[in-house]
Order: sequence, then structure tokens, then C-alpha cells
Amino acid sequence: MNAVQTFKLTKEFDGLVAVNGIDLEIKKGELFSLLGPNGAGKTTAIRMLCCLLKPTRGSASILGYDIVKTPFAVKNLIGVSPQDTILSERLNCWENLALIGKVHGLSSHKVKERSKELLETMGLVERSKDQVRKFSGGMKRRLSVAMALVSDPQVLFLDEPTLGLDPQARRTIWEYIAGLKGKKTILLTTHYMEEADSLSDRIGIIDEGRVVALGTSQELKTNTFDVRNMVVSTEKLTAEVIADLHNKYSRVAMTKGELKISHKDLDFKEIVDYLHSKGVTVYSAALEQPTLEDVFIQITGKKLRD
Amino acid sequence: MKFWEIGKRNLKEISRNPVLLGFLLGMPLAFMLVFSAVAGGAQAGPIALSVVDEDRSQKSSLFIQYLGIVEAIKLNEPIYSEESQAQEDLEDGKISFYLLIPSGFEEAQQTQQTINLELVYKAADPTTGLQLKPIIEAVGSEFLGVAPLLNVDLKGTESKIRNPAVNFYFPGIAVYGIMILISTAAEIIAGDREKGFLARMFTTPARPSDFILGYSVPFIPVLIISTLIYLGVGMALGLTVVGNLGYAFLFFFLIGLCSIGIGMIVGSLIKSESQAGVSWLFIVPMAMISGAWFSVDLMPSAVRGVAGALPFIHAIDGSRAVINGASLSAVMPDLYWLVGWAVILFAAGIMLFRRTMVS
Repeated sequence: MNAVQTFKLTKEFDGLVAVNGIDLEIKKGELFSLLGPNGAGKTTAIRMLCCLLKPTRGSASILGYDIVKTPFAVKNLIGVSPQDTILSERLNCWENLALIGKVHGLSSHKVKERSKELLETMGLVERSKDQVRKFSGGMKRRLSVAMALVSDPQVLFLDEPTLGLDPQARRTIWEYIAGLKGKKTILLTTHYMEEADSLSDRIGIIDEGRVVALGTSQELKTNTFDVRNMVVSTEKLTAEVIADLHNKYSRVAMTKGELKISHKDLDFKEIVDYLHSKGVTVYSAALEQPTLEDVFIQITGKKLRD
Repeated sequence: MKFWEIGKRNLKEISRNPVLLGFLLGMPLAFMLVFSAVAGGAQAGPIALSVVDEDRSQKSSLFIQYLGIVEAIKLNEPIYSEESQAQEDLEDGKISFYLLIPSGFEEAQQTQQTINLELVYKAADPTTGLQLKPIIEAVGSEFLGVAPLLNVDLKGTESKIRNPAVNFYFPGIAVYGIMILISTAAEIIAGDREKGFLARMFTTPARPSDFILGYSVPFIPVLIISTLIYLGVGMALGLTVVGNLGYAFLFFFLIGLCSIGIGMIVGSLIKSESQAGVSWLFIVPMAMISGAWFSVDLMPSAVRGVAGALPFIHAIDGSRAVINGASLSAVMPDLYWLVGWAVILFAAGIMLFRRTMVS
């Protein structure tokens, strides 16, 4: 049984299609990232899976429980960290965590134990008894993530969990999430490509309500770009050599002593040998790997904002 | 007990918010102090009363003399023998109102017929006249041994009331104070929805009933504390509890439940915390037409009809009557109205709240 399964999941708002027939299968213990430009339908999809929105068409289930027919069974299994840091502002950290933990049915002892562990992980112990309205944005974000985790849920929905955090805090949360891999099923949305790249087992790219690409980070990179890039730092490059390269490879560019060659099935050794044979000095040569952001922009044609 | 966890959170949010608390408790207190001071509170002096004695009998003279020794009244001199003179002075603004003792007063008293006294006042200022009514009634019923002279509902207990104005205003202002819960509950619910807190909570296994109870239970201690504070201030200003205070609490409690129910409905319908201000468009007119500040006798019958269909007038009339000595059976119709409304409003609140959980 898949932890998250959707079948033609669709949501329309007054005729506007926000999510358009999404089919997803997320296995138990998998960390799945959903990437997409603003307004692509990521949050709407998550809100449906958290039983906050009713699908217009299609269906979805969490660990076999239908999100429409058995919402309370679903809610027992999930933990949610929403995109906005939503806390009870006049409560302290312990009280915020206890609220979520106890509403999930945890005992006082268990809540205390989990809260202590999470407050230590998130570096909030020192300020744990202060009302959270006095916290910085980063501290609130860390507490918000802790609140999603306090009930020890089987399926975690993390909507931009590290947005606005400084690099240290972001890395702490990444490490914690990485530690949960295999134990919890996690559906993550993020604007940080590095986050998705390093953490995810699989990535789904969503645009205009549809899943337009799906696979591991490597699969996405390989499948998206059929052209390989090579960058060579050179000297004594002649017009004859450049003309030769132009004839042989689909794209050749020369900027500030750097030669960039792009071609399908590009052979690294063949190029280096050719340059040597023509007396060109080669200081360095490297194959350029596409990043996840390259994949994202290639597929969606848009840059992430916010 | 998921509702209790939500309730605890809401109680903490309310009790740790001094602005909200100050508004909730402070505004009705200010009203009570102002109304009591302006309309005959502890510091107010006796009310100047002119009398027209058309009967000119021994009995009417005795009655006037007795009126003169009542502390709350200062008799104006001279006593008019013709109503036309008094009318002229009233129009000229020399006097505020006069009591007309009609000819036949003594005879009616001796033959035990109904005596009709008239308290004539300028329509522009009905409030002082209303204060005088029970005083004159008390004098009439207790010392002349006659039946109620004017058409009032309070039954022969008024003489025990130290300050009728406070007894008149206290229940109304207390109910008005409790009605502020409408705006407070709406503000908290709408605020939690606007900020996304409710959406976050809706992803937990808490059920609609947990939310309804969680958002209403915290107001009960607020309701009890505020009623006790109003009562303390009322007592200090001269409130006399002739009847049963517990019954009055029952009325306050029930209107509190109705107010919380309305607050939940408003909170579920409005889009943002700032829109909770719209509840005042309801609270102030409702308090006014329900007799919180002025007697409903002054209002047109259509307005009284509207007020009578709603719960507030029943809380004010009922609590006012039981404070002034009425038995519980006498106010049962008011109680039925309140219980009925509390059930309807809570049911509607639950229905609307459930609707907001999934869209």
C-alpha cells in the first residue's frame, strides 16, 4: 500500500483549475518533493491531502484512508507544517506543542518527552517559556515545524519548512528531516532547489496544476537535458580550431578564455585529445552537470519567486 | 477531551490579552458608572417634583406631605391647584415634570376604586420620569394602601429598593456587557481563521464539536467573572437585590450562551478579524431596543415586537424582575425564550463552523 496515493485529483475554484488530474504514488518512508512555480497548485494539492479542501474530481488516500470519506482517520496519521508560520501567539513553545500533541491524543508524559526532544533539536530550549509572539521569524518557523512533528505522525506534509531561515537553522532542519527518511513518509514543498536535490528520494514538478515531470533528481536531470555541456579553460585557441568545433558540435561559445561546448553524446576525451593535437593549451576541462534549477526552468520556463 | 485543550488555549489567549480583557470588562463598567451618575446613582440628589392637586382633599394633602418626606424627592413649591398653570411652567421649562392628583382621589381611595395618577413630563427627557414612577408607586402602595397607581409591572417590593435607577440600569447594562461577548467571540474565531490557525487545527483529529466547545467554554469563566464585577460595582452604586440573585445569574448565563452562539455565527461568516466590528451594528441597536438603557415602554409597538422575538429583552426583563423580587415562575416565559434561543444559536453555530472546516 502506498502512503499517499492520488487518482486524477482535481480542484477547481469558480471554473479555475488549480490542480488538474494529479496522479501520485508516494511509497511508505519515501521523501517526495513537490516543486513548482507560485500558483502551480502545490499548496492546493497539499490542502486537499490534509482534508482542508474537497477535491472537485478524483480521489486520494493516505495509508489507505480516503481523504473525503474518512477525514478523521487521515488526520490521525498526518502532521502538517503550513507555509505560513501559524502559532498561538500568546502561548509559549511548550503550550503550543502540547496543544497539537494532546489534540492528537498523546498523553501528557509523551507530549513532554516529544516536546523536549524537538525543542532541543530546533534550538528553542532557552526561549521555550516565552510567549511566541516575541520570537523572530526564524524561531517561529522552527517551532512550526516542531508542531508538525510532535504527534510523531506517519505522514508529514512540510510546506516550505525552511522558508526565511538562516543557513544554520536551515541545515539543522534538513538534517532532522534527513534523519526521518525511511521512517516517515514526507511530502515536501520547497523553493530551495538544494533542499529538494539533497533530501528527496523523488521529485515531482508541478506546473499549472499538472505534474509535468517526475523522478529522482538524477533521472530528471538526465531526462530533461539530452545535451551535455563541457567547459574548457584554454589558451592559444585558433580560428581554425573554433571553426572545426563549430562544424562538429551543435553549440560552441568562447568567453574570457573559456570554451563552452554543448552536444548530445559529447565525448570528453575526444575533445581534449583534439585540442592537444592542434597545440591548444588546456588548463582545465570539465563536464558541466545541470542543476535541479536548470531542470526546473527548462520544464516550467519560470523562475521561482518569493 | 480535545475540546478542553482548544478551550485552554483560547482561555490563555484571552487572559493574556490585556486590551481584549480591558474592553470586555471595562466598557460595561464605564457605562454603569456613567449611567448611575447621570441618572441618579449614589451621588445623585433628590428629584425635584411639582404636584397639581385637583382634589384638594385631606387625603391628597397627606399624600403630598408624604411625598415630601421621601428622600429621593424634593417637592417644588407651590403646589398647583390647576393643571393649566403647571402645563405652562412645564412648557416654559421652569419645571421638568409634575404629578397630577385628579379630583376624586380621596373618594376613590375610600371606595377602593382604581386611582389614576398622571406623571407629566417633557417627552425630550423621559428617563427621570421613569425613575420617579416606581418611587411614587411605592409611596402610594405602601403608605396610602392603594393599588398600583400607575401601570407598572413591579409588584409592591419597590420600597425596599434603595436606588431605583441603579436597579433599573444594572440588569440592562450587565446584559449589554455580556453582549460584548458576541464581538469578542467573533473576533477570536475570525482572527484564528484569518491567520490560518484554525486551518492548522483543522488538520488535527479534533472534531467540529471540539471546536464549538473549545471556543465557547473559555467564555464561561469570563462571563461569570464579568457578571460578578458588574454586580460588585452595582452594589457599590446602590443596587438592592430584593429577589434571588441566583435566578439573575441564570438569566445572565443564558444570555451569555446566546451571545457566544451569535459570536460563533458571526465569526464563521466574516472574513477577517477586523470585520468583527460589524457585530456592533447588531449589539448596540439590540441593547437599545431590548431596554438595556431605556424602558421599552417608550418604544413603538413594532419595535417592541421585534425586541420581544429576540432573546435580549427576555434576559433584561427577567433578570430585572427577579432582582426586584419576582418569583421564578413569574419569569418562566422569559426563561423559555432564552433556553430556546441558546439551543437554536448553538445549533446554527455548529452547522456554520462545520462548513468552515472543509471548503
